Amino acid sequence: MNLTVNGKPATIDNQETLDITTLLTVLKVETPEYVTVELNGEILDRENFDATSVKNGDSIEFLYFMGGGN
Amino acid sequence: MSSSTRKFRFDTLLIHGGTEAGPAGATTVPIVQSSSFSHATAEELEDIFRGRRMGQVYTRINNPTTESLERRLTLLEGGIATIATASGMAAITTAVLTIARSGDEILSSSSVFGGTFSLFRDTLANYGIAARFVDPTDLAAVRGGVTDKTRLIFVETIGNPKMDVPDIGEIAAIARQAGVPLLVDATVTTPCLARGKELGADIVLHSTSKFINGTGSAIGGAIIDLGSFNWDSAKFPHFQPFVTKYRNFAFSARARKLIHKDFGACAAPMNSFLLTEGVETLALRMERHCDNALQLARFLAVHPKVQWVNYPGLPDSPYHGVASRQFGGRFGGILTFGLADKPASFRVINALTLAKNLANIGDAKTLVIHPASTICADYGPEEKGLMGVTEEMVRVSVGIEAIDDIIEDFAEALEQA
Ligand SMILES: Cc1ncc(COP(=O)(O)O)c(C=O)c1O
Repeated sequence: MNLTVNGKPATIDNQETLDITTLLTVLKVETPEYVTVELNGEILDRENFDATSVKNGDSIEFLYFMGGGN
Repeated sequence: MSSSTRKFRFDTLLIHGGTEAGPAGATTVPIVQSSSFSHATAEELEDIFRGRRMGQVYTRINNPTTESLERRLTLLEGGIATIATASGMAAITTAVLTIARSGDEILSSSSVFGGTFSLFRDTLANYGIAARFVDPTDLAAVRGGVTDKTRLIFVETIGNPKMDVPDIGEIAAIARQAGVPLLVDATVTTPCLARGKELGADIVLHSTSKFINGTGSAIGGAIIDLGSFNWDSAKFPHFQPFVTKYRNFAFSARARKLIHKDFGACAAPMNSFLLTEGVETLALRMERHCDNALQLARFLAVHPKVQWVNYPGLPDSPYHGVASRQFGGRFGGILTFGLADKPASFRVINALTLAKNLANIGDAKTLVIHPASTICADYGPEEKGLMGVTEEMVRVSVGIEAIDDIIEDFAEALEQA
């Protein structure tokens, strides 16, 4: 499937859908315990990471409060 | 394998929690003594600033050595995130200012450390935050101190130097009912004696300068967010943007992105290293601090020159029951005792040869101080009364030396009382 990850195109081979928890592993997202996940403009509840899936065409953003400025 | 992936027991977490292999197989956390961190592309740094990816920017914001300490403290307290700060006072200031704004009130134990008392009563008052002080062992007074302006409740696990022990679970219930977070300064007990989370705290604060460092070699503080408080509340409209974006990390996010970043009381990498070294031996040291304090308390309690001893480990302490329950049968390394008067306590302090006369607690070395003339000298009789400080009182932070040497030192010095 093709996704937009943090504004850039990303392809995940041989998968039509993935739950968020698995996606964090597949994309090797750093310190997944701290990441906020926004799917198609909506912030997901951490408790729903297992129950929520991404599919072809979805846009996903990762957000950290730890570093950077505002 | 990465040691952070296994579920270790507490004593093992002290040594291995949150660590990653260092360069060239180093087993201690590297001291990354760099103020800033470069990145290959402008896009990468933009992503970091936007929070799209993790990354180091500038040591006031984050630093690898400090993050290692933060990860370990988070695991030890069972929290969700930690901010290490320049000092214990910086931790308290940052945490309180993250929550309270001008026009708000904070409800505090009256028997807090003198610096905390001064911050709440004098300094924050100048910025429109009013403090109400209540006896934390009087639950009716705590309940009565809550108003519709209260935005947090603050207590110490064992009051320094009053040595009173509030029932934290009961105060947590009052905080929950009031819809405000409970902040607990656990400096004196450390996570070895009690984890704030199990007591019912929402945010735990430490002066890591004390027992966590353990050798009097660095100043530091920590704010541990236990993730238990729901900030999505009409009392906290200023948290709304952070609740929307960061959910149960709202407190840590607001603290990091505003107060901690803007006030700038960041931990120094060298101190984070020294504090991490200290954490590793904390369980062993606390065991010895507690054993030695109990033995010294017993010795002083029957000494003819000693008027009274205040140590929650003594069965006649009014706090013995609640302390036994909360701290797993251990009572910490600090005690106070009274002599005939101020001159007698000065004579004893001057005659001690092993115990050092200085303003600190939690060192491996035994320390004494006369609180009324030093750390509480700026307060009048009324405030001293609230803080439990009397003219004839000596505070002892009992070290981890051979207990017979400690007792001999006091036995000899008490001849001068
Ligand atoms: C209980 C308690 N909290 C906070 C502090 C302040 O910590 P620091 O000296 O690291 O700023 C102290 C220090 O003396 C303390 O004893």
